[in-house]
Amino acid sequence: MADRRTQSRIPLQPVYTPSDLGAFDYAASSGDPGVFPYTRGTRAQSPGRTSWIQRELSGEGDARCSNAQLKYLLAKGQTGLDVIGDTPTMGCLDPDHPLAVHAVGTQGVSLCCLADYRDLYADLPLDRITMSHSLPAVFAVAGLHCVAHERGLSPALLRGSVIQAPYYCEDCSYAVHMPFKLRVRMAADTIAFCAVEMPKFHAFIEDTYFISESGLDSVEEMALGFVELRGLVRELLQRGVAIDRFAPRIAILLNCRMDFFEEVAKIRATRRLFARMMRDEFGATDPRSWAVNIAAHTSGLTLTAQQPANNIVRGAIQALALACAGVQAIEVSTFDEAFRTPSPEAHLVGLRTQQVIDLESNVGQVADPLGGSYYVETLTDDLERRISEMVQAIEARGDPARLSDSGWFRSVFQTAIERHARGIADGTTAKVGLNVHRVPDEEDVLLREVAERKIEPSRERIARMKTYRAGREVEPLRAAIQALEADARDERTNLLPAIIAATKAGATMGEMAGTLRRAYGQPADPFGQPDVAL
Amino acid sequence: MKKIRVLMAMLGLDQHEVGAIAVTGVLRDAGMEVVYAGRFNLPAAVVKSALEEGVDVIGLSCHSWEYLYYLDELLALLREHDLDVPVIVGGSVVTPGDARILLDKGVSAAFGPTATPDEIIASVRKLAGTAAEHDSSTAACEGRE
Repeated sequence: MADRRTQSRIPLQPVYTPSDLGAFDYAASSGDPGVFPYTRGTRAQSPGRTSWIQRELSGEGDARCSNAQLKYLLAKGQTGLDVIGDTPTMGCLDPDHPLAVHAVGTQGVSLCCLADYRDLYADLPLDRITMSHSLPAVFAVAGLHCVAHERGLSPALLRGSVIQAPYYCEDCSYAVHMPFKLRVRMAADTIAFCAVEMPKFHAFIEDTYFISESGLDSVEEMALGFVELRGLVRELLQRGVAIDRFAPRIAILLNCRMDFFEEVAKIRATRRLFARMMRDEFGATDPRSWAVNIAAHTSGLTLTAQQPANNIVRGAIQALALACAGVQAIEVSTFDEAFRTPSPEAHLVGLRTQQVIDLESNVGQVADPLGGSYYVETLTDDLERRISEMVQAIEARGDPARLSDSGWFRSVFQTAIERHARGIADGTTAKVGLNVHRVPDEEDVLLREVAERKIEPSRERIARMKTYRAGREVEPLRAAIQALEADARDERTNLLPAIIAATKAGATMGEMAGTLRRAYGQPADPFGQPDVAL
Repeated sequence: MKKIRVLMAMLGLDQHEVGAIAVTGVLRDAGMEVVYAGRFNLPAAVVKSALEEGVDVIGLSCHSWEYLYYLDELLALLREHDLDVPVIVGGSVVTPGDARILLDKGVSAAFGPTATPDEIIASVRKLAGTAAEHDSSTAACEGRE
């Protein structure tokens, strides 16, 4: 092959030899697992089986329905939980918003008030199980904090995580219709609040998964991720939060595509970059601040609607790469992902994929099994350099608020989408079943019935919202909303206490988000709906 | 020769824009003009854009099932405005069964995930009533939602 490259278009040789490593310095560039720069993993290998947190992304219908889904997965051996909101929830809109009517609960769980969080967490031991939240962070943390308080559980014992996506959410499917400055403040306030109140909770998950599902390559994915992560770190430092106060709870949720060795090398390079950045640039002195936890999803974009059974194989290959890279948590995108939010059958196959790798393959018994490979070490160095150069190039473009508002970030995603589509159309990116080894539609039947089953919108929830709103005590609610607006107008005040108080007073996420938008000079409703008087 | 003009839109809160942007690129590469209305449209907004922009074809991209519920309203509004513009629906979530339902409702073409760029281009050309070759030398108009 004349043009041998990784999926990120990094040129490859037919074979790698000791000469490619040059003056490879094991201690400086690699080090043992658990030792700076953590290339080989964040922890020294403990005796016996070491496995990652096994979880599947879930959320469907209302909070009760999703709670049942979480319990189903736990009963099947899942060791952590992960929940994502439906499209109204991800956009900070209530289920009775006019635009939400056909979308309630179809692509995630519908959550908007304290009662929903009570239902979502019902019977789940929040101090023992890690719950990962792909939700608007500031509101999810408030909901979790309130439920813990009601249960008499100290927030300091809460475990789990929440994603932060302030730079890119508007351009990558999680638009919250808020100005850049407010988005960054909400993220930084959440992280600063949790550093004190919920020190076991990972409130700073840099999520590069969802941005890279536009078709970014591995270098672009991590470069944009580091740009956002570094921006948030600087924001927190400017506020006077000490680096070692919050850095130990930073984690990265990244993507794993089909290029096995590139994804392994990317994760190794990411750990090294993070460690050096934290110690040498941001001055962290606590070793826990240098070692970044990594969670990963296998890539939904690599899956095909054609011959959905092939997606099970793709999920297995990607999960195996993640097991070899030594990550802390894995989610396998399910075989029906191209069609729908996961069915129970597909969820189970995703979980079983992880369990088979964990219990039967013996991968995971030895830390960083690919470390020392001429190829993987060379590729790790190469990726580290490319990611670092791209971070510098993006930061040299100046103020990220301007890059966001001017559409520059959006243009990066758009270019990636078009590149990905062209690669598939012209066959340079092979997709078995899609552009090579196709079968006639009438032969493509395996698992299709499961994949094509639809979820009805939870419309009864819209009617219930009317009752919910009418049943609230107006005066305390109004006072809480006013207090939130006052706090929002003062940028030195952390938003969390007022959001928690408003949540307890019965405010919905839509009402609180509207209050924040108003405080930042925008209409409360992003779609021009009139303000509703409380 | 006049370029084919296509309105590309998504309905409701469906935010997964990958398909819409990819197909927009495919149509522009094929020499068409695409007015990109993007995300967060209700049927009335789509019809208004179609009227104002004088498009030859309306393309709806979907990665959620919301379109199934909005489509009747959209088609009724087009009739109300006496706007005879063909509607094409495409998206990974469109199954062969969905496609049949859509065609019965009056949608001119429906594409699921197995559709190729060539099929989509050919369909748009046929529905726009212009099978001739088009000038692809100039950049298409840039739309942002």
